[in-house]
Amino acid sequence: MNELHKDYFLRMEKACGSLLHELQVIWDEIGESFADRERVLKDLENECVEAHQIKLDKASHLRAHLHQSIADAEAELAAICSAMGEKPVNNTQINQIAGSLKSEVSAIVPLLEEMRNRRAERIGQFLEVTDQIRKITIEIRAAGCNQSEITFDESELTTRKLEELHKELQSLQKEKSERLKMVMGQLKFLNSLCIVLGLEFEKMVAEVHPTLDEGEESKNISDDVVDRLASTIQRLREVKIQRMKKLQNLATSLLELWDLMDVPIEEQQLFQNITRNVAASEHELNEPNILSVDFLKSAEAEVSRLEKLKASKRKDIVLKKKFELDELRRKTHLLPEDGEINFALEAVEAGTVNNHYSLLMEQIDNQISLVKEDVLSRKDILEKVEKWLNACEEENWLEEYSKDENRYNAGRGAHLALKRAEKARAIVNKIPAMIHNLSDKITMWERERRKVFTYDGVSLHLMLEKYNVHKMEKAQEIERQKEQKKLYKQMVAKQELRYGSKPSPVKCQNSRKGRGSIASHKRLSLGGAMSEPPRVDDRQRNKTTPSAKKTKDRLFFSPDKRSAYCSPSPTKLRFNDSTPRRPELPRQPFSQLPRSNNIISAPPKMISGDNSASRTPILMPVQMQVGPTPPLTPVKHQLESINAPDHVIEYSFEERRLACYLAAHN
Amino acid sequence: MSAAPVPLNSGGKELLNPPSDGISNLRFSNHSDHLLVSSWDKTVRLYDANANLLKGEFLHGGPVLDCCFHDDSSGFSAGADHTVRRYVFSSGKEDILGRHDAPVRCIEYSYAAGQVITGSWDKTLKCWDPRGASGPENTLVGTYQQPERVYSLSLVGNKLVVATAGRHINVYDLRNMSQPEQRRESSLKYQTRCVRCYPNGTGFSLSSVEGRVAMEFFDMSEAAQTKKYAFKCHRKSDNGRDIVYPVNAMAFHPIYGTFATGGCDGFVNVWDGINKKRLYQYSKYPTSIAALSFSRDGRLLAVASSYTFEEGDIPHEPDAIFIRSVNEVEVKPKPKTLAAPS
Repeated sequence: MNELHKDYFLRMEKACGSLLHELQVIWDEIGESFADRERVLKDLENECVEAHQIKLDKASHLRAHLHQSIADAEAELAAICSAMGEKPVNNTQINQIAGSLKSEVSAIVPLLEEMRNRRAERIGQFLEVTDQIRKITIEIRAAGCNQSEITFDESELTTRKLEELHKELQSLQKEKSERLKMVMGQLKFLNSLCIVLGLEFEKMVAEVHPTLDEGEESKNISDDVVDRLASTIQRLREVKIQRMKKLQNLATSLLELWDLMDVPIEEQQLFQNITRNVAASEHELNEPNILSVDFLKSAEAEVSRLEKLKASKRKDIVLKKKFELDELRRKTHLLPEDGEINFALEAVEAGTVNNHYSLLMEQIDNQISLVKEDVLSRKDILEKVEKWLNACEEENWLEEYSKDENRYNAGRGAHLALKRAEKARAIVNKIPAMIHNLSDKITMWERERRKVFTYDGVSLHLMLEKYNVHKMEKAQEIERQKEQKKLYKQMVAKQELRYGSKPSPVKCQNSRKGRGSIASHKRLSLGGAMSEPPRVDDRQRNKTTPSAKKTKDRLFFSPDKRSAYCSPSPTKLRFNDSTPRRPELPRQPFSQLPRSNNIISAPPKMISGDNSASRTPILMPVQMQVGPTPPLTPVKHQLESINAPDHVIEYSFEERRLACYLAAHN
Repeated sequence: MSAAPVPLNSGGKELLNPPSDGISNLRFSNHSDHLLVSSWDKTVRLYDANANLLKGEFLHGGPVLDCCFHDDSSGFSAGADHTVRRYVFSSGKEDILGRHDAPVRCIEYSYAAGQVITGSWDKTLKCWDPRGASGPENTLVGTYQQPERVYSLSLVGNKLVVATAGRHINVYDLRNMSQPEQRRESSLKYQTRCVRCYPNGTGFSLSSVEGRVAMEFFDMSEAAQTKKYAFKCHRKSDNGRDIVYPVNAMAFHPIYGTFATGGCDGFVNVWDGINKKRLYQYSKYPTSIAALSFSRDGRLLAVASSYTFEEGDIPHEPDAIFIRSVNEVEVKPKPKTLAAPS
């Protein structure tokens, strides 16, 4: 170094010296003053120094710059190394190795370059990893998750960190694959559920998320979707359990019904697949469509069909029993009692509660046994009644026969008739005794049981008494007619005395007719009467009995009239009662009025004309349907009924129309 | 009576230019075959029924609820805008005769008293003198309180019958309006629809919303009251039940005294009230019969076929007016073949 300076000074001295010498010569020539010369030399000196100074500054700057660069490079290197987790390069080492600044720089720059490259590489790796992490996270978590969080800090580029990230990635990948597996598993389960429930798998899956139906890779497995899948599966499971319970209930019902009604095996087998599963658990029910809506419906339908069958069978049984009961009653000439049993019958028909049925059966059985008892107790009396009725028949026949004028003619069967007549007379004689006997028996029976002995609804005592009364009246009638005849004969005799004899008028027919008509009147009046006749005591009965023999009139109890007399006015009344009363309907101006029976004074002839507008107008004058206005019933009236409380106001159509009009035009 | 049988259309000749909304009433004039029609479209129209021409149209302030003739050249109308108006047809002039406090429902002109009588939903009856100068101060003769809103009015001679809501009936003598001559209750148990006096002045008929008409008499003595009766009409039988229609209108034949009734079933029936028979039924009109009127000689019957809002605001057939020529056979009474009528 010093050599350079030495050479520099020598050269300068030489060059400057020669130049100075020249300058001095020139000045001498010019004659420059000392001061001027001094001045110029001074300037020259200053300029020289300045030139040196400048060079010096430049060098100094360069040095500073180099320092700076080195420092920068070192700082950066240190940063990179720390970021990357490597040991920082020792500065002093470099210094020592380098020696001068420039060499230091040139040493440090490639290092720096290298580190930079490595850093870039490292960053690249990080990016890769975080990218993948991000991807998977999106897939796994919900789509809207915070993506900005998945970045990395550039100041932390250590391999350790990289490894961490790798690990994270791996775990995420694992999670993803697990999730996928789980989803696949769920889908399989869902599929099996759908099969059992008869639902479309594709539809259900599409509902959760459309991608689930596609290939594995493209499935959306975010939390959201997984949750939905889980909830769908849960829902379907619940449905399955519900339906299963239902099916099992149906199955038990089926089994019960089959047992109750002895359903044949062939029919049972049709529904084996239901009953087979009556005790299955949730997981055992895997058959396709076994819990589908249709299948359940068909099972339900079968159960209800069997129920109906059961109800109708029960109904049949009840009806049979009722019939039995009615028959018993009928045979013992008791009137059938409907009432309760009919009502209960309807309940059975409606298929309602089982209790009803068994109760009903019990009731009917009770009644049957009661009636059987009755039958026994009544047997005796009824036999006697039969005999009496037969006797009455014969009585009537005899009467008829006696009227017959040809009875003594020798025709076919005349001798038989004669025999019958004889027998009949004998029987007729016995009637009073029969009645007496019967009456006693009835009284005893009634006293014992404290109820009236009815024969087809009528008190038997009553019947007997009426018969007696009638006989008595007839006898009286006959007496009267005899008197009349006597008088008539007397009169005729008198006349004959006065005027001579006349052919006798046909008396018999007239009198017979007369009696007949009177009797028929009596018959009618007695037939209509339902009140208790005055009790005829024994003495009177005895009186009538002899006269009864003589009577030739048509007796009250002709065979066909017997039932008419015993005609059940009770049933007539009942018939009236049973006509359903029309319920009073809430009426509106155009809706229907119940047709009341008391309005029409003359039969309306032409109502049909109202029905069709196309018919030609009626020319016949038609009677008006005159009558009192119907009684006011508190009916709901579209325009409020008249007897409505004061705060309900009626309006006419015009008032309503005006309200609508104003509403529309305001 | 008619010279040659007029070929009948299904319901009669349909008038051209009918009102555009419901028809509240129509009347024939006492002097000609002019027909005055009041409508919910706020107009009062005058038609020549024979020529089927619209001769005049007057605008009211609101829906017109009733109208009547004064003489052939002027008429009156009652509106939902509470006014009573008068029209002179030839000049087209109109003015307001008076006002009520609520829509005016009915209007009649009494030749006997020379007054216009109006009934309103403000529960009053007012009498007006149309000869006075216009302006309500000059024309109002009297205001008479009614028990309820007035639904229908009818006049014959000096008798005025007013039917109100709540089934009240008041009978007035026009010569002494301070008090009703008779205060009655309708013998029909449902809302009164229409009241019409007999042309012979012995009584009046009432119709209700329940397909029934009552025939009443002014004479309150026992003997006269035995003649009163009620009959069912305008009903349809459907499976043993009756569908009942309000009877909206009644009109008496000026000569025979028989009367026609029109109901919401769309039918017009002609009745002989004395022999208690139905004489005729015209074929069904498109919709409810809102009003009926016989012409002065009884040869024509105007039928307003116009939905009367009995079922509220529902789509309905267009409103139309039919003019029927009336045959004798349809309106002449037919006494029973035996002795005296009932």
